[in-house]
Amino acid sequence: MIFEYLLQIFLLIGLVILAYLAIKFKDLIACAISLGIFSFILSLEFYILQAPDVAIAEAGIGAGLTTAIFIIAIHGTSRWEVEE
Amino acid sequence: MRNALVAISLLIVFASLVYIAVNPGDFGGQTGEHLVFGEPKHTDMDDYFIHHGQNQSAANNIVTSIVFDYRGYDTLGEASVLFAAVLGAGLVLRALRRDKK
Amino acid sequence: MKMSKIVRTQANFLYPFILIFGFYIIAHGHLTPGGGFQGGAVIATGIALIAVAYKYNDIKKWLKKTRLTATEGIGLLAFIITAICGFGTSFFYNWLANSGLLFGDRVPYGINPGYLNTGGVLPIMNLAVGIEVLGGLGVIIVYMLSYVKEVK
Repeated sequence: MIFEYLLQIFLLIGLVILAYLAIKFKDLIACAISLGIFSFILSLEFYILQAPDVAIAEAGIGAGLTTAIFIIAIHGTSRWEVEE
Repeated sequence: MRNALVAISLLIVFASLVYIAVNPGDFGGQTGEHLVFGEPKHTDMDDYFIHHGQNQSAANNIVTSIVFDYRGYDTLGEASVLFAAVLGAGLVLRALRRDKK
Repeated sequence: MKMSKIVRTQANFLYPFILIFGFYIIAHGHLTPGGGFQGGAVIATGIALIAVAYKYNDIKKWLKKTRLTATEGIGLLAFIITAICGFGTSFFYNWLANSGLLFGDRVPYGINPGYLNTGGVLPIMNLAVGIEVLGGLGVIIVYMLSYVKEVK
């Protein structure tokens, strides 16, 4: 039980750190990759909360498809975030 | 100044979410029943699906039998929404390509 | 856009495994966690992997937009037709369950190892929704890839 709580605390801290990094980075591909890792850790959290259906859907769509769509869109525009 | 305001509002939201997660209070109108994080609430509807699902829809996975059999209209709406979304994306991208020429 | 040779080799190696895993999730949707939507999303992830690793000109011969759109339409149509077939009792009636026909075996109550020939219309609907999600999410990827190619 205490192991489960510790794992959840680690995963939630990792979620907050990755969300902050996704805002902070100037390289947009790094932002997309950190959002992908964010979705992957979120799917692990869903699995610990006993929702394997939602975990599979999150790992497939959030970590796979959304990252691919972001990378394709970044290749179509510019890679670096510029200050206006 | 603006960053400080954003940080303070995020901290307030975070503190209220933590308070709700630790102390959820009564839920569903039944007083004196506290929900614990990680232990979902048990209702009569759950008992019905768990005890009748394997007989009525002949599947082991109760979640799938709810999604496709008991609540089929929901899945029909979801599939239609996906179809409409793909249609809209295709129309927008095709219009963009025509403008470029 | 074309990735390096390392990425392309990894994509070639991983693509069949992702495909088999997605079809496994769809086919065992009435026994294990998962189902049509999740399996279709996993297969679309495999398509996205190939689409990101290669150029659009390389993949447009075997990943045609018209085929993916047709797949999506066929999936949605099969789903609605399977639901309409239960009209003897009601819309979305599970008319194949416990009938002894295809997917019609009876399930013993309680914990069992899981038999594939059960579920009534659930495996058919899983396959239909899986095909629909695969076509829909794949055609979005291919549309975006073809448009991005024209920007550059």
